[in-house]
Amino acid sequence: MSGIESSFAPVAAPTGNPIRLAMQRLWLTGRVLPAGGRLVVQHVFRSDEDRPLEVIYSFPLPRDAALRGFRITGDGFEAHSELRQTEEAVKTYEQGIADGSLSALARQYGDGLVNLTVGNVRPKETVTVYLEILAGVELRDDGFRFRFPFTLAPAYHSKMRAAAVDNEGEMELPADEFGDLILPRFRRDASSLHEVGFELSLLHPLLDPSSVDEIGSPSHAIKVKQDGMGPARVALAPAKDLPNRDLILDVRFKGKEVRVLAGPNGNSKRSFAAIVPSTRFGRNGGSPRRIVILLDRSGSMQGEPIAQARKAIEACLAALTAEDTFGLMVFDDSVEAMHPALVPATREQRECARAFLKHAEARGGTKLAVGVHQAAQALGGEGDILILTDGQVFGTESILADARATGIRLSCLGIGSASQDRFLTLLARETGGVSRFVSPRERVDLSAVELFASMGRPVASGLKASRNVQPDPPHAVFAGAPVLLYGEMDSDSGDRIEIAWDGGRMDLDVPSGDAETGEVVRLLRGSRLITDWESRYPSAEAVAPLEKRQQSRVAARLLELSKTYGLASREMSLVAVVKRNSDRPGELPETRVVPVGMPKDTSFSAYLGAPLQMSSPQMRFSRVGSLLSKMGRAKPREAESAMPAQFTAMFSGSECFAGAAIDLGSSDTGLLSLATMLEPDGGMPGDSPGVRAGRTIAAVLAFVAQGQTLTVGVFRLHVARLVGFLKSLNIADGMERRLIERAIDSASTGKILPGQWPVLAREPGTQWKQIEEALS
Amino acid sequence: MTLAEIAEASALPARTVRFYIARGLLNGPVKGGRVASYTAEHVERLERIKHLQATGLTLLEIGRILGESPGEESEAVPATSWLQYAIADDVIVWVRAGASPWRTRQLRAAVQEFAHRVGPGKNPEGKESEIT
Repeated sequence: MSGIESSFAPVAAPTGNPIRLAMQRLWLTGRVLPAGGRLVVQHVFRSDEDRPLEVIYSFPLPRDAALRGFRITGDGFEAHSELRQTEEAVKTYEQGIADGSLSALARQYGDGLVNLTVGNVRPKETVTVYLEILAGVELRDDGFRFRFPFTLAPAYHSKMRAAAVDNEGEMELPADEFGDLILPRFRRDASSLHEVGFELSLLHPLLDPSSVDEIGSPSHAIKVKQDGMGPARVALAPAKDLPNRDLILDVRFKGKEVRVLAGPNGNSKRSFAAIVPSTRFGRNGGSPRRIVILLDRSGSMQGEPIAQARKAIEACLAALTAEDTFGLMVFDDSVEAMHPALVPATREQRECARAFLKHAEARGGTKLAVGVHQAAQALGGEGDILILTDGQVFGTESILADARATGIRLSCLGIGSASQDRFLTLLARETGGVSRFVSPRERVDLSAVELFASMGRPVASGLKASRNVQPDPPHAVFAGAPVLLYGEMDSDSGDRIEIAWDGGRMDLDVPSGDAETGEVVRLLRGSRLITDWESRYPSAEAVAPLEKRQQSRVAARLLELSKTYGLASREMSLVAVVKRNSDRPGELPETRVVPVGMPKDTSFSAYLGAPLQMSSPQMRFSRVGSLLSKMGRAKPREAESAMPAQFTAMFSGSECFAGAAIDLGSSDTGLLSLATMLEPDGGMPGDSPGVRAGRTIAAVLAFVAQGQTLTVGVFRLHVARLVGFLKSLNIADGMERRLIERAIDSASTGKILPGQWPVLAREPGTQWKQIEEALS
Repeated sequence: MTLAEIAEASALPARTVRFYIARGLLNGPVKGGRVASYTAEHVERLERIKHLQATGLTLLEIGRILGESPGEESEAVPATSWLQYAIADDVIVWVRAGASPWRTRQLRAAVQEFAHRVGPGKNPEGKESEIT
């Protein structure tokens, strides 16, 4: 109906007919190593209109990522980008557009958002941009997770503006923080958008392929091919897919080995990346813990994420001992605490926590910084915060600054199908904690319990490394999270790295490696350093005029890093201009913003509300009337009918009261529900000592039967508590003593004893006798 | 005025100006031969867009206010939409429409709470003090 609405969907202005997609294909290729990936993203742009186009594609950077360069090709031409200071790059781009030349600009903004702009794509012309990106991976002791965003998640910002039309929505961010960043339109249904896919080579020729236990993806159907000793090739199994979720690839090794990638880097030096599993540092101690659990209940968490998070928190609390203290808070626009101070992990307080969580419904915005601040206050300067969030916020640099200022260690469990991985990685790393990111289709609860098990009790502290290791190693090491060390050494200064920590040390051999590996490792190090410094660069400062930015220490450091490593940052951008004989100066290209799919598992209404429709006044009144009848006393006034037509149209279109029904459907009750049953003394509940002992033995054996022991598995803390309870029982000999010893032995060795242990553990009448019969 | 000049005059990036043209918020340049140029009217329109943005409106809403095409802008003061709740005979609450879903839900809850406090049959503190 209005010109604005019609421009919201890709249609040709004169006819109103749908146009072909300005971006037709996005294909990811490259190589992923255990320390990170060197990727090439192919973007295919095409104009099917009768005038030149300027196409803008927006995307978020993955974790620890930076843009290296791009190649732009088309019929009869190929050009490579140049890295220039951002103002100069923009000027070059604009001059190219004014001259009628094909121009391309890749520019980074706050929160790791990038606009790739390609201007003067001629009618019927196809232009392909191959963008090279360095990206980090999420490391685990026994492998890594690679994550790449095929879409961009909408996120919360207190000053953002959002609107929806039909099945698309758009967001605008304040220019004083984000400059001229243009966000894509979010389409509820991604099926009509550009196709996406991938073909990656995984691992390194120097790594023994037989060391790989498993390669899988919880996000996409994949096919894996491996010939002999070469790297594995992983590709999308179907011919193409939709841009509505991240690609997630998991690689698991057979062992937890130290892995060092290295090679000459062209500067008479050798670059290295060393990955040291946490198991090489020792085991964590048993000192009491002080932990605040901070649950994001913003609107975008509605549905399965918050239901799973609630269950996970109950299981986490069951892993606490009576000596531990905890706090529980939920946040959206404001923060609610179960109790203003930390409380002991008694049965009563855990019951309070359970009751408190029942009322934690998803709603509101994501004022994460406020939540972190209040959690830190409750801790009083000592302890850990565990955040369960989708991390869908904009303006993350200021949140990071606030979080650093608290001096408290944050661990993050991210939940989402589109990536805020970069932000949560930084939030944990910059405060000394650990982060994990899972998709809602995975077991969020188990990941939470696993992360919780490592919190508060580092396996090593005071970590220091020799040589030229940069960035600095983390101060503490936590179970399950390996240490990644980047650095470089003179080629003739030996081949070892020394690592020392409080009470231990180790030496690592650095192989000679090859030049290709050396270059990749050098670039990964550069992108990690740039990401760290970007996170310390407040958006408002980053969009200030050049004269002002020149006084910024962060800007100067980013400029230096960009020049040293040849990587883009907010201070330096990539630009290319292709001059052709038939360029027509002065012709204005039509701007098209490439839409993306709403991330799978994210409710469209959580951010963008119901579509703005030019509906009839009758419809308006019925909606308002419906609301007011729910409100009881509030009655609609008919006065609106006297308002101008324009008012009426806008009024009728406003999203009012999209319901946010929380699905509290049951999740897997297995071990997780067993874990939630533990009493503060570590034993199972029961109305007599015999019942408690019998059910506790059965619970131990139930955990062991599922691969959980005193040292292995996400429930290792729960197993340890159950065993601790059994050890505390004052039983010297006899049948009862033998049963206890068999259970403890099973928990120590992992030896599985056959039996219906989960049933017996839950059965209120299980006593010594039933256990003896089951074991006989 | 060239695109670069109008961008400088309006303190907006040239790419943003092109974006507004594509969205129908701003007329395209005036063509004189092969040269495209922008006028004072363009600058004025850009200032107006900036002003409306500063009031919290989205580009979509601004587009509606400015009219179906850039040349059809109404002379009237731009309309903003509000939700009106008559929660008692003597109390009306107005809430600006078009807020984000979570803000809308938050405000609805607040209005509901308020309605319970001041609605018929209630004797809220504020009313009492007014009487005395």
